Amino acid sequence: MTDQTMLVRAALFRDRWSTNGDRTGIRRQSTQMTVEQLKKLEILKDLKDSVLEELIPDISVAQWEPGAMLFEEGSYLDLAFYIVEGDVDLFLQKHEGAAGPIFNTRQLTARDIADARQQVPQSPQSAGAVPASPSSPEQFTYLSTMDFDLARGTTQRLTKGDIFGEIGALNGWPQSVTARAATLTTLVQIRLPALRKLKRAATGFKAHVDRVYRERTLLHHLRTTPPLRGCSEMALEALARKVELRSLEPNEPLTREGETADAVYLVRSGFLKLSQSLGAGDLVVTYVSKGMTIGEVEALIDGVVNWQVSTVAAGYCEVVRIDVADFLELVRAHPAVEARLWESTVARIKEAGFTRKNPERAELIEFALARGLAQGNSILVMDLDVCTRCDDCVRGCASTHEGRPRFVREGERFGNFLVPRSCFHCEDPVCLIGCPTGAIRRTNVGEVIAIDDALCIGCGSCADNCPYDAIVMHDTGTVWPEHALPERLRGEERLVASKCDLCHDSDAGPACVNSCPHACAFRVSSLDEFDALLRGETPAHALLRGETRADGQ
Amino acid sequence: MKKAAIYQQKRAGAPGWFNKWVQSPRWLLGFAIVATLCLAVYAAGTVYGQSTAASTLGMAYGIAAAIVGVAVVAYGGRRRAQRIRSLGRTWYYLEVHVYGGVLFLLLVFMHTAFRVPQGLLTWLLWVTSLWMTVSGLFGLVLQKWIPTLLASGLSVEVHVDRIPDLIVELRNRADALVETAAEPVRALYRREVAPVMEGPQPRWIYYIDATGGFRSKARRFEHIRRLLPGADQAALDELLELYRTKLEMDAHFTLQRTLRAWLYLHVPAAILMFGLLVLHVFFVLYY
Repeated sequence: MTDQTMLVRAALFRDRWSTNGDRTGIRRQSTQMTVEQLKKLEILKDLKDSVLEELIPDISVAQWEPGAMLFEEGSYLDLAFYIVEGDVDLFLQKHEGAAGPIFNTRQLTARDIADARQQVPQSPQSAGAVPASPSSPEQFTYLSTMDFDLARGTTQRLTKGDIFGEIGALNGWPQSVTARAATLTTLVQIRLPALRKLKRAATGFKAHVDRVYRERTLLHHLRTTPPLRGCSEMALEALARKVELRSLEPNEPLTREGETADAVYLVRSGFLKLSQSLGAGDLVVTYVSKGMTIGEVEALIDGVVNWQVSTVAAGYCEVVRIDVADFLELVRAHPAVEARLWESTVARIKEAGFTRKNPERAELIEFALARGLAQGNSILVMDLDVCTRCDDCVRGCASTHEGRPRFVREGERFGNFLVPRSCFHCEDPVCLIGCPTGAIRRTNVGEVIAIDDALCIGCGSCADNCPYDAIVMHDTGTVWPEHALPERLRGEERLVASKCDLCHDSDAGPACVNSCPHACAFRVSSLDEFDALLRGETPAHALLRGETRADGQ
Repeated sequence: MKKAAIYQQKRAGAPGWFNKWVQSPRWLLGFAIVATLCLAVYAAGTVYGQSTAASTLGMAYGIAAAIVGVAVVAYGGRRRAQRIRSLGRTWYYLEVHVYGGVLFLLLVFMHTAFRVPQGLLTWLLWVTSLWMTVSGLFGLVLQKWIPTLLASGLSVEVHVDRIPDLIVELRNRADALVETAAEPVRALYRREVAPVMEGPQPRWIYYIDATGGFRSKARRFEHIRRLLPGADQAALDELLELYRTKLEMDAHFTLQRTLRAWLYLHVPAAILMFGLLVLHVFFVLYY
């Protein structure tokens, strides 16, 4: 390990409340706060004591040095920041040539954003330093994770009373800007569990979050939603003013089959499970995820006035509710959009019909939602009808990763297939949240998430966060050296987090698949591919796509 | 876009057994063509008196057998060199190993004119070649048969090396469960379950029925169940589940070990055969 790595790690580890920040230092940070202290904060003053008590473990106040980097674009946060005192500058920076090991997360996305920005008309405000909106408690400035109003080379200054980062934290999106303390700045740092509680308990806070989302992000979200692409700006702006934003708890129902369908819903984050009654029970017919819609079937087909499906949230979910009349007004004015919606409507009906005829498909969907497969971009599955349990897949993995295998040949079974506990490379990787050194990050190869061993301090945060037990802590058999940083590591057993990196640095593709002598290990990147495998169809396309993705081509 | 190799080419519409046994029809077809050509050449050679090992064609068969033999053992090398990713997929090597192994034996037979050699060394070489190929084919049958048994009959999937530890865990859970259970449950546990929970117990029945006859064993539980109040029924159900899991682990233990054990029939013979082959080549060249 180089001294440089130690220095980087030390700089980063000083505070677990900051994620992936290039820490020039927090001058002071609160220990656990009391209800009375929390009540003094403008943002929390109206909350009941019982709610504040629940928030205590996930809220701290920190005083940041001028110039301190709070986070960089592309990083994942489980934090929102509320400015109590001081100023924060938000800006975009180029990643090209940046050699730092921490801030390379999701470079492609950063570039994509830059590219996309060039196609979006710049707001008149975007030239030069832009003052934030007036900072009264009633007027927070919100910076979304997809703020396309901020041009490269310009800075937006946030001041007292502004809040930022919450949409990224709530939705699992990476930050699209870099934030730096412009002056000595005092920030209330609110972690994700507290954010969720705040949204439920504080109507004012929810209203603020919704309003700033509506102002900054909603329009872009509508614009980039596949069914609505091609709508005029004016029509989308009008629509954006009318929609309602809703947050759903896990298993909270959204629609009930047979009730009047009066809206179309657009998913902002999370998953919705769609089911239809069949016999004495409900059959899950499909699920929808970020960027997808429900309700177009009921809206478009004459004579269908009731919901054809019951919908519940599979986990935390954020949706945009569009009144059916507003929706129809929009699509009638845009024939191309209507035609596309008809296509998706027909596809949805076909899918529901297919699932009703093939109930095992419903079982697969439920399994995929419950076990996280729906989240995955590359899932290792093994055909147990062919697998001879030789473990060459595990040995192949170990031999290409310094003797430490990145998965075990155990896990959930579906049909004759085993889904080993190997990283799914999730769409919304919660493992990235809270890594104190930024050792775990997205590579610039597809959706691959990898861990930099040199920066990992073995804290286990990523392993704790992973809902699918796909990250294991390996004991390296050594202890941290006497010059290790942070100092508290010295002499301690050296652990390192380990997970599948999809062998992204190799042209040969994943070693597990490569090493299997019986061709029973596959990488699937969608439920349809898994379904094809289960039905015994040729997995050629699944393999091709999986390997291509792994190769980053 | 980089084109990745597509190596498992199941045929749509083909019967399940065909897709299970023949992962790539192309390889089978290729093997059939090469084997037919070899036999055709051999048949033609016999017409011209080229059927002995010492004849030109006979020597050619022997050299071809040695070359194919080397290609066949490359599979073992590939498995031990997984770090070198540029060597290609292990699956290709296994296909060469299987089809090449049979072709090797065919070439050996052609080399010896389909007769048993008389000399000690050549006889040993012939016998070990035959043993190596037959044991390999036996292993192939096991590798097709046992995974289907494991996949179709069992609900748990477990690594064989972990089974002893997991059984201890099951035993502890079962002990804790029956401590507070009704006497009929405890009696059933002492009589039927506890002896099974002692450790991994390989049994022949698993080769036929991977559940180990669980359904008939469950009837004893069902009989007791009728006599119990609700709370004890739940305990009995849990005990039954632990018992079933244990039987499944025994099935894994038995069958997965078999999948490894057959290699003792195959690999030492292969090593011996190659040693003899080197000697054989040496003597042929020397004399």
